[in-house]
Amino acid sequence: MNIFIGLINGMIASATPILLAALGGTLTYYAGIFNIAMEGMMLSGAFFAVLGAYYFNSWGIGILLAVFGSTILALVFILFSIVLKTDEFITGIGLNLFALGTTTYLLRQIFNVKGAFSNPGIRSIPNLAIPLIEDIPIVGRILSGHNLIVYLGLLLTFLTAYLVFKTQFGLRLRAAGYNADCLDSSGVSTARIRIWSLLICGLFCGLAGAYLSLGFVTLFSENMSAGRGWISLAAIILVNGHPWGIAAISLLFGFTDGFGLLLQRVMPPQFTAMVPYIATLIALFFYSISQKKKTRMLDI
Amino acid sequence: MKLDKKIISGVLGIVFALLLGAVVMLIQGYNPWATYGALFRYALGDIYTLATTLHNAVPLVLTGLSASVAFASGPVNLGQPGQLVIGAMFATIGGLYLDLPKGIMIPILLLLAMLGGALWSGIAAALRRLFNMSEFITTLMLNFVADYLTYWAISYPFFDSTAYSPMSPRINPGGALWRFGDFNSDVLIMIIIFLLVYFIFQRTTAGYEWRITGKNSLFARLGGCPVGKNYVAVMLFTGALAGLAGGLVIMGGPLRFLKGIGANYAWDGVMIAMVANNSVIGTLLYGIFFSVMQTGALGMELITQVPREFIMVIQAVIVLVVVAGRGTLDIVLDKIATRRRVQEHQT
Repeated sequence: MNIFIGLINGMIASATPILLAALGGTLTYYAGIFNIAMEGMMLSGAFFAVLGAYYFNSWGIGILLAVFGSTILALVFILFSIVLKTDEFITGIGLNLFALGTTTYLLRQIFNVKGAFSNPGIRSIPNLAIPLIEDIPIVGRILSGHNLIVYLGLLLTFLTAYLVFKTQFGLRLRAAGYNADCLDSSGVSTARIRIWSLLICGLFCGLAGAYLSLGFVTLFSENMSAGRGWISLAAIILVNGHPWGIAAISLLFGFTDGFGLLLQRVMPPQFTAMVPYIATLIALFFYSISQKKKTRMLDI
Repeated sequence: MKLDKKIISGVLGIVFALLLGAVVMLIQGYNPWATYGALFRYALGDIYTLATTLHNAVPLVLTGLSASVAFASGPVNLGQPGQLVIGAMFATIGGLYLDLPKGIMIPILLLLAMLGGALWSGIAAALRRLFNMSEFITTLMLNFVADYLTYWAISYPFFDSTAYSPMSPRINPGGALWRFGDFNSDVLIMIIIFLLVYFIFQRTTAGYEWRITGKNSLFARLGGCPVGKNYVAVMLFTGALAGLAGGLVIMGGPLRFLKGIGANYAWDGVMIAMVANNSVIGTLLYGIFFSVMQTGALGMELITQVPREFIMVIQAVIVLVVVAGRGTLDIVLDKIATRRRVQEHQT
């Protein structure tokens, strides 16, 4: 039973950064931007979170700085892809490299360390115990006691679904991706909608980063996003951007992460570390098969 | 005119990025003139540093060529890091078991490295052809798998029991590349491969078909190119290039597989292909230039207090500025040309 609860809690914990980044990415996905900068935004968020939490002794300022750090990247993305009309793919790759370089450089410059910075002075984001629910035997241990950001992630899933499907902004957002010229000719600036989607993406990725470095663990290490931005991109593609689908698929990835840890009893750790990436490949496999079937049915 | 524009945007972008770097250094209280001086002196100052720069350029140029040829032909092969480490692993394993004279062993190991790289990109190609899985995601995911796979290989089956950290034993001496004074023969191999890639890509029917497919795959298919077959060929070819880079890294350097050996070149190939706009000659030039920056960074760190990670930032800025500058410059030049034409028309 303890293993089961541990697995579920591990699943929720490792699903959260992917969920947040993917929710941010899905807004840009609906807006018709090929945004692959989530990896860099998350990394930058993780670094600035540690910076804030260490120097100001407050996780709140850590989160604020994380959002600041990733939003700066979003602004650079806006500058290049929307203002200067550079290729989005190249902008994204360039930004990811920029984030990797800058955080590595600043880690060395500010904290005087290479590789990783951990210090008892870094304030981590607290876990929340939900009053009544925590007393329920098993359910309480699953639902209560998670990190603040985990609950925020759940809330943001609702909000994103509402924003995309029930509001005027969401309608325009989807129109920007579906037919930008049509939206422009009806008097709404596509560029402005896209700018907003990128800014919100920056916000979400900042939270994901803060969770990585102040919730999941309490340290910053070089390249600590470790491909989660790419996995979240895969998650978006797999469910065509639907927020609830993203939540489900993030949990699936979170599960494989915890499952990998469990496998460490029988396998060397290098193999279990591959599990999330192989899971992404397998998920993509099933997605492609189903797409193929669909197109075949259309052919007939 | 076309070439001129490329040179203008390239030089302008690099100058702009270096200036930006200088401003950042000034803000932090460093002397930019001395820093850049140290950087270029330690990359190009004498024969030894020049040889080191060229040697360091080898994996950059080869992975850059791999990415350039792939992007220009259509497949979004982002798997150079994975293909590189698998190629390096293949060369290492070959070097551990084979013990032959240099003249035979070196070509065999290089072929093994290419085979390893092609095998790894071949997986992504097969997934695309059989199940229509986008190589953009599969190559990325396979990078991580390759990383852990090689890490496992040097931690268990090929672990050097005399070492303190995971690494393979030294390969047999026959696998070490020739040296001419300070110069390593991997530079020579790089130049040969560059000429070969240029020839294949620009002068053969196959290369023509690849380029046409990259520009307009529908047109290529209607024109009778075997698009599917070419896709696999490009993936295998570019995988082999990245694998070869890995083999040369081992055979021209530490002669053993060290942990994290591929991390230094992780995204460099893709980055170089992007600034070079997938041109084969541009890849060679930018590859060498980026090697100048990376090699000089060590000296820069030694002489001044600027950490060498600063160069990573400058590199990313160069990529963004050069690429954005190319597009913007086109627009500006077009505008000027149009205005001139309009004026001529009026007079």
